[in-house]
Amino acid sequence: MTQAEIKLCSLLLQEHFGEIVDKIGTHLIRTGSQPLRAIVHDTGTSLDQVKKALCVLIQHNLVTYQIHKRGVVEYEAHCSRILRILRYPRYIYTAKTLYSDTGELIVEELLLNGKMTMSAVVKKVADRLTETMEDGKTMDYSEVSSTFCRLADTHFVQRCPLVPDPPESADAQPPPPAPTLSINEKDMYLVPKLNLVGKGKRRRSSDDDAAGEPRPKRPKQTAESKEPIPDDGIYWQADLDRFHQHFRDQSIVSAVANRMDQTSSEIVRTMLRMSEITTSSCAPFTQPLSSNEIFRSLPVGYNISKQVLDQYLTLLADDPLEFVGKSGDSGGGMYVINLHKALASLAMATLESIVQERFGSRCARIFRLVLRKKHLEQKQVEDFAMIPAKEAKDMLYKLLSENLISLQEIPKTPDHAPSRTFYLYTVNSLSAARMLLRRCYKSIANLIERRQFETKENKRLLEKSQRVEAILASMQATGAEEAQLQEIEEMITAPERQQLEGLKRNVNKLDASEIQVDETIFVLESYTESTMKRA
Amino acid sequence: MAEVKVKAQPPDADPVEIENRIIELCHQFPHGITDQVIQNEMPHIEAQQRAMAINRLLSMGQLDLLRSNTGLLYRIKESQNTGKMKGSDNQEKLVYQIIEDAGNKGIWSRDIRYKSNLPLTEINKILKNLESKKLIKAVKSVAASKKKVYMLYNLQPDRSVTGGAWYSDQDFESEFVEVLNQQCFKFLQSKAETARESKQNPMIQRNSSFASSHEVWKYICELGISKVELSMEDIETILNTLIYDGKVEMTIIAAKEGTVGSVDGHMKLYRAVSPIIQPTGLVRAPCGLCPVFDDCHEGGEISPSNCIYMTEWLEF
Repeated sequence: MTQAEIKLCSLLLQEHFGEIVDKIGTHLIRTGSQPLRAIVHDTGTSLDQVKKALCVLIQHNLVTYQIHKRGVVEYEAHCSRILRILRYPRYIYTAKTLYSDTGELIVEELLLNGKMTMSAVVKKVADRLTETMEDGKTMDYSEVSSTFCRLADTHFVQRCPLVPDPPESADAQPPPPAPTLSINEKDMYLVPKLNLVGKGKRRRSSDDDAAGEPRPKRPKQTAESKEPIPDDGIYWQADLDRFHQHFRDQSIVSAVANRMDQTSSEIVRTMLRMSEITTSSCAPFTQPLSSNEIFRSLPVGYNISKQVLDQYLTLLADDPLEFVGKSGDSGGGMYVINLHKALASLAMATLESIVQERFGSRCARIFRLVLRKKHLEQKQVEDFAMIPAKEAKDMLYKLLSENLISLQEIPKTPDHAPSRTFYLYTVNSLSAARMLLRRCYKSIANLIERRQFETKENKRLLEKSQRVEAILASMQATGAEEAQLQEIEEMITAPERQQLEGLKRNVNKLDASEIQVDETIFVLESYTESTMKRA
Repeated sequence: MAEVKVKAQPPDADPVEIENRIIELCHQFPHGITDQVIQNEMPHIEAQQRAMAINRLLSMGQLDLLRSNTGLLYRIKESQNTGKMKGSDNQEKLVYQIIEDAGNKGIWSRDIRYKSNLPLTEINKILKNLESKKLIKAVKSVAASKKKVYMLYNLQPDRSVTGGAWYSDQDFESEFVEVLNQQCFKFLQSKAETARESKQNPMIQRNSSFASSHEVWKYICELGISKVELSMEDIETILNTLIYDGKVEMTIIAAKEGTVGSVDGHMKLYRAVSPIIQPTGLVRAPCGLCPVFDDCHEGGEISPSNCIYMTEWLEF
């Protein structure tokens, strides 16, 4: 865990869960797995608070526990999982594009609550949707459950590991200090058969005909909800790997669309969709797909003939990008998508783009040149890139000082004399990717800090505007006159209003920027993971 | 009676006659003649007289002495040169010969010293002498600007010394290269555009968006922006820089020997492409481009809270 990662995790925990959780979480990240007593002792917080903090972290899948030898339970924090908090908006947005508002709210609820039972999710989402709908309409539970089932079928949500049923054994073993959770592969996406009947309830603050009745009934309802829910114990969580797979597919499709045309990208999208369930997320190649299968699975709107499809597939396979490869000739031609190569190309394009923006297009030319040719001497770099010697030297040294390019020495003589050694420039892509990843983490930490600073600066103003809004709302509820409302609104002067506007704009900009940097993080992380798995 | 055997000189034993005969023989065999051949021609001349005649011719600079596997060869020297070397001594002739052998690549003064085994001062004097007589000239090498190579006065320096089409007077012509770069790219881009708009089946579309290096070369020649004659290899180096810019991709196809522009049975095709990703997220934040990134931390002189780059960026 680099310093930058730890700082960022600490900021995220503090922002989402508060100071105490932040302290415990950061301590766990720094020190690795620790038993409960050690955490209490080292952080100096009371046992009670530590327990509560750990509960929160475990609920959100940020900390896991394990029984070690001698029966000690140790808790371990997962730094990478904490960093995923940054990506929550992207997950929610993806669910919205695929499954519209219902899907969006389901995923949002699951992400915000860590783990939930299906019935709880359905109920909450229905309530929220009902509030946004027009008067008189309500959201039916069945619609929400069907969306939930679809999410489970496409593996976007999965069951959490459960406590297995204790074996019926004669010898009464003392229960282990911590339960070991396990889940069967088959059961992971199995939706329990629930009979959820009902409609979303609107949270009403004003009197209504129907509201008059439920009010006395309300205490009874809460008592009713104490009865066992049918799917107690079956908790669901969002499957982040599946979302990552989806992002990866999206970036591959857009890369193909940029390089070739729309139809080719649609074909690639079809191929990826067909391999969604069959290929594991870290495989370097998808399963081979025959051209006949692809033809059958093309989206309905696309009526291109079989020959045209074959031509496109041949073009894709021959393209220098090498995203698609031909692996055989049966079934009209078997094609695979080379996932590792695709991720590597995307990561290299990211590196090149960063070099271009930071140092200029001539430096980018030199960088691409050394990337392609692997090892080059200084003179060769000048000749190939057609850049005058002085400038080329300057740029190479600048890239060298930023550690994006490294030198490889090849001595001619055993004494390594500098005048008799070859010095070759080379790019070590993995280490360059890791270095830029660290830079991304620090950038996001900076952006978050700036955002908090901006909010703190204008705290007084924000509080004032909140007070004014509360007064306005209460006066509107009690039916005040237009003139009075006007008076209250004028409590905030025009320049203050402008300042508030500016603040809102800045905070939004910083937020958007965090999400953009997170996209870079995703590409670089996928590349490093994929390379490490292959190595 | 004591007969004094007078060695009757045969009529052509006259030294000048011998020399002339040898010269005639050399003209007959321009590749050179060996001692054996002279002996066969004039069997009545003694070896001593032969050797004297040959030495005289050599010192006069009319014959060249060469060594071959079979022995020594004598070759007639071109008549123009014989005029120049009058008044030069042997050392100068030696140095001149070394420089002449270097052809149009030229030779460095230190190499002349190794080959002739003459001391440095002598070499310098001789070189100055020859230069003033306008027999040799010094050309600055483009690779190492301090190094001077010497070659014969009337020879054109080789490309490796002057740098070829991209260098004019030892200066790398960057604007020229830039202009060529942009022109080639525009040509390929427009070709790709027309191919895309033709909307035929994808194979034809793609094949028509390619341009071979020969086509690009013809286009640039016709544009006439270059005062220097450019060869196809020059255009290929320019196209390679476009590949390293990420704007163009290349494929090699096998082509029949006779088709225009094919080299050794294959052709290089180039095509304009667009980048596969948009500029990445990190560079959209000020931190991605910040020059003092490593010095920035909370509570320091440079921190996110008082970052001037962020303030400017937020005001856009």
